[in-house]
Amino acid sequence: PCRAQPKKKKKVDVKKEQAQKERMKKKLKKLEKAAPELIPIEDFITPLKYSESNRVRSLPTLSPEESERRVLLLKKWCLFKQKQDEAEKKAIKALVESQQEALKELRLESEELFQAAIRRDEGLFPFERDGPRYTPPLPGYDPPEGKCTDITKVYTQ
Amino acid sequence: DALLSCHRSYRSRPTHGIGKFKYLLPKEVPKKRKEKVQMKEINAGTEYQYGDVNIQMTSYDLCLVEHFAQYVHRLCNRLSIRVNESYAMPTKTSEVLFLEERGSKMQLDAVLTTHQRVVQICGLSSTFAPILLEIIQSNQPEGVHLLMKQHTEADFKSRLKSRPELEELLAEMS
Repeated sequence: PCRAQPKKKKKVDVKKEQAQKERMKKKLKKLEKAAPELIPIEDFITPLKYSESNRVRSLPTLSPEESERRVLLLKKWCLFKQKQDEAEKKAIKALVESQQEALKELRLESEELFQAAIRRDEGLFPFERDGPRYTPPLPGYDPPEGKCTDITKVYTQ
Repeated sequence: DALLSCHRSYRSRPTHGIGKFKYLLPKEVPKKRKEKVQMKEINAGTEYQYGDVNIQMTSYDLCLVEHFAQYVHRLCNRLSIRVNESYAMPTKTSEVLFLEERGSKMQLDAVLTTHQRVVQICGLSSTFAPILLEIIQSNQPEGVHLLMKQHTEADFKSRLKSRPELEELLAEMS
């Protein structure tokens, strides 16, 4: 009697554990089968309130002089932008050409330095830069105390 | 029924193929199966070429960052740099609260949304990289934060949804 009962307990335990493990493995397999999904981006989903409203904006009618003036202004702006873009392309070309020339000269000077110059720069990445601001920071500005809380919606699969 | 069930083709006769009509109908687009999101192999790059590089642009202003991302993409196209992918990272919303002058309550100031766009390029040569960086920097608009770094698996994983159940099970198993 003392021997029989502990043996039964062990058997039942082992079987239960094995069954549990198998169930967990099956669950794991099922979850792993499902492919991971990308988080939906809220920027590309238009909120419903912008598609449901019926109000339409009525623009004031333009006089022919005004529309003429606007068209001429647009043409001038296009020309200005084109000149700007062409100048940029020219600058890029000039940069690349001068770089190639410098490398050619370096090659003629010494092969070792040329090889070292061609190598990629490990310190270049990661590169971070903040964009320019409209106005410089105000001197002696005392910002009010506060905090920022992150309220992004967490998506789970 | 006898006409429809006839299987003899009579290929030598001029009446071969009589009764066919499917070639006249407009082509049906095959049903698009949901493509599984898989991670593409990350290119490490040789000594003279950088592998997969991510150009990440972050800002509070959506239109500005979107237009800048389009500009960078077109620039890479023009300079014949291969663009692997151009995607958007999920938007982060944050609440800004400030302490009132007379009082201990936090006052809600604004709700800001941070948008991020990523342009992934491949095969950037070591001599051209500084030039590209210079161009992008000179055209950087106000308030747009630029970040250029190598593409890693962690970057890809940050785009996917978290699976707490899977992680729990894995933790239990090991």
